[in-house]
Amino acid sequence: MSKRQLAMVMDLNKCIGCQTCTVACKTQWTNRNGREYMYWNNVETYPGTGYPKNWMELGGGFDEAGDLQAGIVPNIEADYGVPWDYNHDELQFGAQLKPNVEPTWGPNWDEDEGAGNFPNDNYFFYIPRICNHCSNPGCLSACPRDAIFKRDQDGVVLVDLDRCQGYRYCIAGCPYKKIYFNPKISKSEKCILCFPRVEKGLPPACAQQCVGRIRFVGFLDDEEGQVYKLVHKYKVALPLRSDYGTQPNVYYVPPTEAPPKFDAEGRIIEGSDRVPMEELELLFGPDVHQAVKTLRSEMKKRKETGESELMDILIAYKHSDMFRLDQEYYQSIARKQGFSLAPIDNRYMQGKNTENKFKFKVVEYD
Amino acid sequence: MTKITTSLLALSLAASTMMAEGVILAQKTDRDVTKLTPESKAWGYVKPTTIHLYPQTALTMNDKKANALNEGAKAKEARVRAIHDEKNIAFLFEWPDGTRSIQRGYKSDVYADGFAVQFPVKYDDPAKLPYIGMGSDGRAVVIHLQKAVEKVYEPNGNGDVGMQQNILSKNAFGDETAEFARKVGALAVKDYQRSFVSEGFRSMTEIKDGSEEFDADMKYDNKVWKGTLIRPLKDSYLNLEGAFPVAFAAWDGARLNRDGQKLLSSWIPVKLVDSNGGEKLVSELTAAAKGDAAHGKELIEQNGCTGCHQISGLSPKNYMAPGLDNVGGYSTNAYLRESLLDPSAVVVPGYNRNAHPNALWYNLDNGKRVSTMPPYPLDEKSIEDMVAYLKSLKSEVK
Repeated sequence: MSKRQLAMVMDLNKCIGCQTCTVACKTQWTNRNGREYMYWNNVETYPGTGYPKNWMELGGGFDEAGDLQAGIVPNIEADYGVPWDYNHDELQFGAQLKPNVEPTWGPNWDEDEGAGNFPNDNYFFYIPRICNHCSNPGCLSACPRDAIFKRDQDGVVLVDLDRCQGYRYCIAGCPYKKIYFNPKISKSEKCILCFPRVEKGLPPACAQQCVGRIRFVGFLDDEEGQVYKLVHKYKVALPLRSDYGTQPNVYYVPPTEAPPKFDAEGRIIEGSDRVPMEELELLFGPDVHQAVKTLRSEMKKRKETGESELMDILIAYKHSDMFRLDQEYYQSIARKQGFSLAPIDNRYMQGKNTENKFKFKVVEYD
Repeated sequence: MTKITTSLLALSLAASTMMAEGVILAQKTDRDVTKLTPESKAWGYVKPTTIHLYPQTALTMNDKKANALNEGAKAKEARVRAIHDEKNIAFLFEWPDGTRSIQRGYKSDVYADGFAVQFPVKYDDPAKLPYIGMGSDGRAVVIHLQKAVEKVYEPNGNGDVGMQQNILSKNAFGDETAEFARKVGALAVKDYQRSFVSEGFRSMTEIKDGSEEFDADMKYDNKVWKGTLIRPLKDSYLNLEGAFPVAFAAWDGARLNRDGQKLLSSWIPVKLVDSNGGEKLVSELTAAAKGDAAHGKELIEQNGCTGCHQISGLSPKNYMAPGLDNVGGYSTNAYLRESLLDPSAVVVPGYNRNAHPNALWYNLDNGKRVSTMPPYPLDEKSIEDMVAYLKSLKSEVK
């Protein structure tokens, strides 16, 4: 557990699946150098196979006794999907448009399919996913080289690429499959929560670019922050699959807003939930019932009285309120360490040049 | 390649046929051994020593597919030869592998065959060698690794960010595109060989400052890998003279082997021909366990060892203590003896303690690891009997 923890809240009622976050992340970090297939941020349709394919069934995480569970390392072609391109250059010479690899699978292959029968009870919603920067990361526990560490100052989970030897046990250990193998450098890489931006007081690129303004970013101990209010005060933001035992730090406001179901004659079934509560409970745990109740009652309150702090937060008026990152906090740490600039934790550079023999000491967790 | 003459080797061979089984006799030559390759004819003049490689079963890694593939894995027989020229030593390590697995292409789940050679930094007391699994606290090892990885790039691209860009952001067309690809390709590291220092599983750190020079190579032919490892006898990490221990490990990419998922040998003594000393080490490492294994087994059960340690047929899998199914294959008698009498002498960091918080096989006392296992100060005969039983715990050789 780190001293402080940065967290993100995503309001699923407002996610329109536009993938702007995905593109923001990809152009910033993963469009090159072996990372082409990775989506540190992806938006998947639920119900659906997700990314990588059926990630919820690939193991990892912890059981109730706290033991790390074995998992599976997904395959690029079959589970992630190979990024393909088209022969645009050749078209002017009369060639047929064709992809450079036979596309057989890719992220969002089943986008917007969902479940149920149209129009009576079909449904789906989007889940944007990044690394959860867990308080008890499965990837970290699985690493036999102590190459993965969690920053004390803000809980960001990073890979020390000098220690990483590309064994991929981290991938098996992460129940969210949000750490990836880079075949070009033969090491694991993952979402870094845009720490170079965060240390400058800017939110991660995915949050900054979100057109639906669904993402809130801040420290969980900042009681004035909207993240704190959504997670701890109103308890409407819940972690995804917390049953995996990794204590994730990305929280979701569950989707409550959907039209009612229709019966066989096309009549509205009053009071019906198009998005089944069992599904929400699977994703967000039993607390989802209370969260949905709170959301609905606050919405009602807002309609009736015009006032609701929760609804005002979820409307997301101002980026300056949604993102509370405290640049001064990071700069003061950097100054204390004698650095003028970020990064505030240089462990990921450890071992870069092993000058002293036997320098590295195993990190002990108590 | 410089050929090493037959006669020189024949001479030293004659001088040393007295050595016991299980000793690698490093023949002396006055030619330069750094030129040797896995296919050098010189190896033909050196008598090989047969060693056995046992599956690592002290810890279970967390890859489901790999665990299923390696369930009940058998030991392998390998052969080692060595030649030294008083400056450098060259090893030829041959191990069978039915499949040639190269890590290449844009794949996430392909693993390479490979091998490693491990040396203890200190070996003056043969009863207190480093733990076989990458050393232990205060008992460091140097490890040389060679893997069949086709090519790999430095994560920081040697500082040249421009060479890491996506071609689409380079505004390059036609020939420029090919030229960019060629320049990037030139940055690839074609030979995946690395040196490490380690004081135990998890602490292993790559030596990247060039202070450890070595050369390794591997060639596959007729279902056998031949690997060479050539390094100085003396450098800032090691001083190899007289006789010293060495250990070998092999990874089978087809069985998803990497890291702890591997086969490894025990400490094997290497005797340098024409270099004095080390008799004690050789006799210690080649001595057979002299206790009564059947009685040892009774003692192991009576003393509750199986409450924490896994021994197939006696106790179920758990995370509390190292599994013992192959402990006889890769441990020395002295290590087993020491572990019974003073379990805290060598405590392997093992799993990250977060991974199995209810199975804390050690506690920290002022930064020092203290084993959860109590010492068993039994009489000498009982200890020897238990050691004899533990030495018998190993997979059969395929």
